[in-house]
Amino acid sequence: MQSTDEILSREVKPGMTRADLVKRAGALGLVASAGSLGPLTEAAFGRAQARRGGTFRLAVSGGSTDFIDGQHIVAKSDIARLMAGWEGLVYFDERYKIKPALAEEMRAEKSNQYLIRLREGVEFHNGKTLTIDDVIYSIRRTKNAKLKLFGNAGLGAIDLKRTRKLDARTARIFLSRPDVTLMEAFAQYFQGVVPVGYQPNAVGKGPLRFIGTGPFKVQSFTPGRESVHVRNENYWRTGQPYFDQVRIINFPDDAAKVNALLSNQIDAMTDVPFAQVPVLNRRGNVEVYISQTGAWTPLCMRVDVTPFKDVRVRRALRLLINRPQVVRQGLSGYGRIANDVYSPFDPAYAGDDFPQRRYDPEQARSLLRRAGQSNLSIELVTSPADTGMVEGATIFAQNAKAGGVNVRVRNVDGGTIYGDQYLKWPFSADYWGTRNYLQQVAAGVLKTAPFNETHWDAYPGYKKFESLYRQALATVNAGKRAQIIREMQRMEYNDGGLIIWGFKNLTDAYSTKIGGFRPDRGTLNLNKYGNGFRTIFFV
Amino acid sequence: MSILRGIPGFVLRRVLLGVVTLFFASLIIFAATQALPGDAAKAFLGRSATPESVAELQRQLGLDKSVFRQYWEWISGVFTGDLGMSLANRLPVAEVIGERLVYSLFLMLIAAVISVPLGVALGAISARRRDGVFDQVTSVVTLGLAALPEFVVGIALAVLFSTTVFTVLPSVIVTEPGVGPWNYPKELVLPVVTLVIAVVPYTARIMRASTVEILESDFVEMARLKGLSERRVLWRHAVPNALAPTFQVTALNLAYLAGGIVVVEAVFNYPGIGLLLVDAVRGRDVPVVQALALLIAGLYVVLNLLADLATILVSPRLRTSLS
Repeated sequence: MQSTDEILSREVKPGMTRADLVKRAGALGLVASAGSLGPLTEAAFGRAQARRGGTFRLAVSGGSTDFIDGQHIVAKSDIARLMAGWEGLVYFDERYKIKPALAEEMRAEKSNQYLIRLREGVEFHNGKTLTIDDVIYSIRRTKNAKLKLFGNAGLGAIDLKRTRKLDARTARIFLSRPDVTLMEAFAQYFQGVVPVGYQPNAVGKGPLRFIGTGPFKVQSFTPGRESVHVRNENYWRTGQPYFDQVRIINFPDDAAKVNALLSNQIDAMTDVPFAQVPVLNRRGNVEVYISQTGAWTPLCMRVDVTPFKDVRVRRALRLLINRPQVVRQGLSGYGRIANDVYSPFDPAYAGDDFPQRRYDPEQARSLLRRAGQSNLSIELVTSPADTGMVEGATIFAQNAKAGGVNVRVRNVDGGTIYGDQYLKWPFSADYWGTRNYLQQVAAGVLKTAPFNETHWDAYPGYKKFESLYRQALATVNAGKRAQIIREMQRMEYNDGGLIIWGFKNLTDAYSTKIGGFRPDRGTLNLNKYGNGFRTIFFV
Repeated sequence: MSILRGIPGFVLRRVLLGVVTLFFASLIIFAATQALPGDAAKAFLGRSATPESVAELQRQLGLDKSVFRQYWEWISGVFTGDLGMSLANRLPVAEVIGERLVYSLFLMLIAAVISVPLGVALGAISARRRDGVFDQVTSVVTLGLAALPEFVVGIALAVLFSTTVFTVLPSVIVTEPGVGPWNYPKELVLPVVTLVIAVVPYTARIMRASTVEILESDFVEMARLKGLSERRVLWRHAVPNALAPTFQVTALNLAYLAGGIVVVEAVFNYPGIGLLLVDAVRGRDVPVVQALALLIAGLYVVLNLLADLATILVSPRLRTSLS
């Protein structure tokens, strides 16, 4: 049952006064007085410049490998489509804090025991009511290693056999080992809740393939071309979404996206090429949207092979990159320098507390001399798979000359760098999005990590590092956990195999006809695609 | 009657030759995409390859069978219309290519319909007024345009007519699946003009050269001596004879437009087979790459055949030598 406040908030139209609204309420048979409008209605007045309806057209990069899945992504186009149709139990808000979404309540009762209670009356796109069974099915699907879903590693600690259903909306889940990062894992956008039986295994096949609880339903999808999404009339958040329709259109070429925006054929685009940002800034009808993310493109040295086996070589190479220059030239200034430590939004991030590494060819030379590597010559494999990979490698190669190191940059395509030799290249570039520290360790640093880039397990202190990791996972107290994480970061800062020269910004753009975009720290474009296209609107 | 016997015979010979050409082309395409060392399945899976997924994909692609068997299955599929499934999205290849092909052929057709008469006319008039103002201006302009890459022309046109100077035309084409290209006349203007600018200089220059040559030949002299008007000499006697080399160049240009206009498609986001090919190569979508490569090879064969046929029809000497 909807409250009067909820119904009234939908009635607010641009240009309406409070007296008009009270009259309208009378016509609808609702009781309301101008002095005591509810909070939702007041909020709706605050946004009264927001217009309902219209078709929002977003240009994304993508190709014929695009797919739609509520729990999996590969390309950015897949993210945009997932955000329109699916939501998780919890989510990261604009300040990278965890907030409830489909869960009314979700908390750790003990370090290995969580309670999940769902919101009441949430419906899937096919009209089915959301129950806890759907959540359990969603977790089981993510945990199915065969499907290789993006969120698989994050839910590794859940022991589904011991799950206890308390009622149709509530369950208690148990972990096989303590894991304080579970909430973070659930807040990732790719942990969408899907209905029992959901299997979008192929285009045009698979039961329930487009069914989620999100603000927009899939109407049509042509891989490599576009998808059309229509408003979910039964969406649980009152007053949202605003658009009637969202079209997500593929553009293989970034310049074509910019042109389309300038000639008013689209309303927003992702990933403006850095060089085009000043051009767009000069245009009155276009707004450039810049997000400072925690995304990074490291150079990865394999700790288990010569010459990188020698910590003095690793330290020397970390001193041979002019970080401000890479940010200035490689990213056209759209980024900030880093200090060989990842996860800048983690509350325990210590990268700013350690002395900032600077370009120091003299010291590098002396380190290399002591390591017996005075005339070092190495190959660095990179690829244009992500912005910054080629740029960072190329500038590093120039910088390293002053330290007496000859770096041969080998630029290959994405299929080659991520082919047979991936994770085996002695020295290569790679790319990552924003994650908190322990999640990143699980994904790319541990011996068991799916993307074990530097083979950090060959490092003499690795046993200690891993035991600190286990300890941190079991430490519920945030302050104590931060101390442990700090210690781990110190080990990586001193002896690690990653050269992390900076964090990148995302540069997107939208037409001034669109309102509602807010600053966002996350790793997704355009304020998480206007938070799944539900918080943005035509003005 | 002898002419009729001669030309069908010629066409038959050329079609058979075309089939042989395509057979060799298919061998090369197959060898380059599937049979060469380096596993197509591993290349496609890239960062997400596991032994199981590689084995599964190898089975799907038939990589576990002998090379001859793989080729046979592919080529017999081509003849029965079963081009396999796209690896990228598990849709039938014919369905993936179908609409894109319509878009490409339509763009090609419109560009050809405009650029061939335009190029012929410009070339003929330039030849007629050799070294005059018209000829010199045309010569400089066509040379300049021929030197410009198509994407420069495309971007310049977009800046001029769509995004910056005048905002009268759409800069890209945003199509809906299932809607044919003829429903977007405004959006087609810039891509078509770009292609016309790409093709006309070559046609005009070759037409001018061959017309100049013809105008100096004995039979034109004869026509002039008969007292025919200069206009009649040019359009009735010189131009038909100068067309032969022009057809050849135009056919090559059109074939190039079919697959080689990737950059133009990228600039205007035009959903043709050029962009699809780039997309498929990037995604290691072997069945789509194979089908498109063979299709473009076939287009070359057909266009060359048509050009030769047209050449014969406008060249009395060739016509009679056939019979």
